[in-house]
Amino acid sequence: MMDVVLIIQMVVAAILGAGLYTIIGIAPGTDETAVLAPVTLLLVVSGMEPILVLTFFIAAIVAKKLTDSIPVAIAGIPGGVMSAPMVDHAMVLKKHGKPDVSIRKMASGSVIGTIISVPLSLLLASALVPLADVIEQYSSQLFFFGAIFLALMTKNRLFSLVSIVPFAFLIQGLRNLYWEIGVVPEDTTVFTSFFLGITIGPVILKLFELLNGRIRRDLPRYDKKEIKMNKTRAEKGFPNPFTILNKKETFSSAVSSVFGVLTFFMSPVGITIFLGETIASRIKNPVKRAARAVSSMDGLTNAAYLSGILVPLIAIGYPLSPTALGPGHALFNAPPVFTYEHNLHHILSMNEFVIATVIGSIVAISITFYITIKYAQPICAFVFKRIPHEAMLGLFFGLVIMLAYMDAGVLNIAGVLMIGLVAGFLHRKGVNYGVQFMTLYAAPWLVSLVF
Amino acid sequence: MSDKKENIEVWEDLVRIKDLVLSLFICSATSLGGYLIAPAGQQPLVFGLIGAVAGFIISAIIIKPKRNFSYIDEEQA
Repeated sequence: MMDVVLIIQMVVAAILGAGLYTIIGIAPGTDETAVLAPVTLLLVVSGMEPILVLTFFIAAIVAKKLTDSIPVAIAGIPGGVMSAPMVDHAMVLKKHGKPDVSIRKMASGSVIGTIISVPLSLLLASALVPLADVIEQYSSQLFFFGAIFLALMTKNRLFSLVSIVPFAFLIQGLRNLYWEIGVVPEDTTVFTSFFLGITIGPVILKLFELLNGRIRRDLPRYDKKEIKMNKTRAEKGFPNPFTILNKKETFSSAVSSVFGVLTFFMSPVGITIFLGETIASRIKNPVKRAARAVSSMDGLTNAAYLSGILVPLIAIGYPLSPTALGPGHALFNAPPVFTYEHNLHHILSMNEFVIATVIGSIVAISITFYITIKYAQPICAFVFKRIPHEAMLGLFFGLVIMLAYMDAGVLNIAGVLMIGLVAGFLHRKGVNYGVQFMTLYAAPWLVSLVF
Repeated sequence: MSDKKENIEVWEDLVRIKDLVLSLFICSATSLGGYLIAPAGQQPLVFGLIGAVAGFIISAIIIKPKRNFSYIDEEQA
């Protein structure tokens, strides 16, 4: 039985996690892995009670997912990798002077994603326990077929399909080089910085192009950007996601959240792009289409995020999803406290998982949803007036450079720029992030297949 | 002062190339610098993140956003 003291401690952990990541989420360009993994690792290694770490983590991701829609809505800068697919649609709403609508719709979609995801992930995890061994054995293949599937869904499908193998070779080639010259130990796989290199690829390509005088002179030039925002009435009382979203939006957010949970092992970015576009493509009115797309996509990413951490943690004990491999990795492996043979999967009972998840998500929704909805407009206005786009790009670029250095030293800064250049080129040719991330996950297996 | 039409579009918003270069330089230096000066035994990543945020704040102070912002008073959308 749980005692009251522990429950109170869990609520406090959830409040801290939600509070911290509400602020971090608003900062644009904060990659989930970059901001969640180190803090989680610190907490685990510091000897915090495992159930409190989990509560903190759940509250943190729910809060982060709620607020990272703000930079997308107001600047078109993804507030994290997961919100990257929403950029196009958020830009439509921004163009029509409705960035605050965008934020409300996204945040409400997020809440629906959480509500659907928590019970469904717990159910799915219980159902998967018997299959755990098989899934673990074939995770690379799953990622590979995921990449093929997503490639076939893109507009430029042949190009996307053919790009998978060379891109995997580039990734493994760099890793092998690092091992050979000894900048990283043989058992370490450089991952986070490559992931970020892919994310920032389009910007890196653009920056390199600016070095070319002819291209630079030919670029279209603009005066200052005119932004007009409709002043909306302040929400009264506690905001209700079910009134912010209309019936259709609620329904498609719920449906995409279910898909997000079921595809927990795939890159949420890819699934989000695919499902979001499928759901929205039939709507003619651009504003309505964008509103439907952002709410469904945010529901999906939130659901996929939660299931991506809960299902592997509860059912398998190995990090078999992009979320578990990235931000949540410390919950699986953080020596000396957690190892693959002894981590949250082995320590916590099903009841403890349920309680930690429920407390973490409810606390985070109550705090963060309220702040996001109530203050969306003043936050937007502040950012538009005070925060230059250059600073956001600089922040993102600086983080990538630092994490590149952290992963494998000075050489890796060049390596990540290389990955970024290629990823940016592929992206421009229609190979979306989903295909590229899946390729990143499947690369070691894919290359070992040939040699 | 700024001439007309000197901004270019990078990732869906307008920037001035000189300001962008400045900001990239500042943020890279503070992030990597923070990581490198972290005292032994401390988590260098935390210092790097603090550096990144510091660089962001410095850039935000010295660079002006390329936007003219105003509210429209319309009650319906």
